[in-house]
Amino acid sequence: MNALVAWLEKFFLPLASKIGGQKHLIALRDAFIGTLPATMAGSVAVMLNAILRDLPPQFIDGYDGTTIPVIKQIITINGYVWNGTLAIAGLIFVFSWGYNIAKAYGVNELSGGIVSTAASIAGITFSFTGGIKLKGLNLDPATIEAINKAGWAATPKEITATGWGWLPLNNLDANFFFTAMIIGFIATMIYVKLMLKDITIKLPDSVPPAISKAFASIIPATAALYVVAIFYWLFSLMVPDMTFLQWMQKTIAEPLLGLSQGFGAVVLTALFVQLFWFFGIHGPNVLAPILESVFGVAQLQNVNLFQKGGADLVISEGYNWVRGSFDAYAWFGGSGGTLVLILAILLFSKRKDYLTVGKLSVGPGIFNINEPIMFGLPIVLNPIMFIPFLLAPVVSVSIGYFATIWGLVNPVSQQVVWVTPPFLMSFLATGGDWRAPIVTLVAMVVSFLIWVPFVMAANKMDPSLGEEAEK
Amino acid sequence: MIEISSAAYQDKIIELLNNLNKDGIQFSYKEKKGINLYFETNAGDLEKASSLAKSAIKNQPWGSVLYFRVSPVK
Repeated sequence: MNALVAWLEKFFLPLASKIGGQKHLIALRDAFIGTLPATMAGSVAVMLNAILRDLPPQFIDGYDGTTIPVIKQIITINGYVWNGTLAIAGLIFVFSWGYNIAKAYGVNELSGGIVSTAASIAGITFSFTGGIKLKGLNLDPATIEAINKAGWAATPKEITATGWGWLPLNNLDANFFFTAMIIGFIATMIYVKLMLKDITIKLPDSVPPAISKAFASIIPATAALYVVAIFYWLFSLMVPDMTFLQWMQKTIAEPLLGLSQGFGAVVLTALFVQLFWFFGIHGPNVLAPILESVFGVAQLQNVNLFQKGGADLVISEGYNWVRGSFDAYAWFGGSGGTLVLILAILLFSKRKDYLTVGKLSVGPGIFNINEPIMFGLPIVLNPIMFIPFLLAPVVSVSIGYFATIWGLVNPVSQQVVWVTPPFLMSFLATGGDWRAPIVTLVAMVVSFLIWVPFVMAANKMDPSLGEEAEK
Repeated sequence: MIEISSAAYQDKIIELLNNLNKDGIQFSYKEKKGINLYFETNAGDLEKASSLAKSAIKNQPWGSVLYFRVSPVK
């Protein structure tokens, strides 16, 4: 094991450290984390609506929350919270993204956030088009004239509505993330580089810092926004029928999110997280670019779909596997599904050291905190725990994955705080689907059966093995 | 004394803490048991010493991805 660790330290850990320490990837991770106050508040609003509006009809015939005065008002209030959070999650992210890039380079963070937001918004269409074309529609000339005068276009058979001055919500929610990641990055980097080259307006020292900081950002920010604007203009000449955001959605975001939905991608992600943990590396930190920017974005799409049309819309248009699915079906008790390991230890271990650690780990384990058992047992670098620690979550993920795609349980559509105890976690995460805790239970039972033989095998090992003190 | 549980970069952790001197708090490597490293410290407040050691490790280029635990040993 020592030779393996030495090899890992020489070849693998520097690479993991490079990925995990790469300043742009850290900024991306922190940008996602930075949106949490808004996305969690929005998720609470959606979840409250799920509990008050969407869950009761499953159990009470004829229930309609929107007809009960108090509940109707609470649903309306939750709607306001959603408007300011998840409905514009992409917009919140793009500011956080620019802010964190600027912070990574030690330049004015506020201006970084503003440049990133302005540059990304610049490419969004401000107009809308809609229309009615009904069989049997036959408008009289006076109506047609009135509609045309109002600025829309009408013929006897068709009405085309157009307008300008609108920011479409579906351009500012989770759909906005990939465009924001690219445009926000390019614009902020131009701004950052010019700031670092000191191409700025300098004011006398007597000017208050807030004013001189803002003035210093003017040239870099203007240059960044003009570069992006010229890009949008060239893009509109080459692809006249689409905005850059629409093009990004079609050619990059949707295929990438689609790829993430394959069984192989889901299992590989789960496997790599476990591998990193086992070798003492913070798996979700290293894999944050995938977990947050792919599975996390898919989750936000599902939360918004749930708000618009409940679980049915998520099933028909949403993603089957999202960031929270790992927590709901595989990481009960923490990464590795260690809650069932604790149970296996308490039932089958004869080792005093295991039993002591097991008892101490129950409380934190219920809330998905597993440091006591990861380091106390330990699991990290413990050869006997290698196979179950990798295998159990992969099997659990598979159970959750197939249960979801076979329609046995609703996809995860709510953002739930990771310290929520397991069964409650999957129940809430699926918008109150009572079948979800059963799927979690099945995954737990199977994981338990995977862990038990290894716990029993550990009974036969010398507890002091590998523990000799080295000066 | 404080205990640092880490599977990786143990040598770097020892070197870092042996040379750390912040707010008068110093550490001296004592022994290693499996993945656990033990350090003597002159700090009266072991919680403060643990938190100092933790942030010192996290601030290293190799420390940001490390999965480790620092706890006081009373």
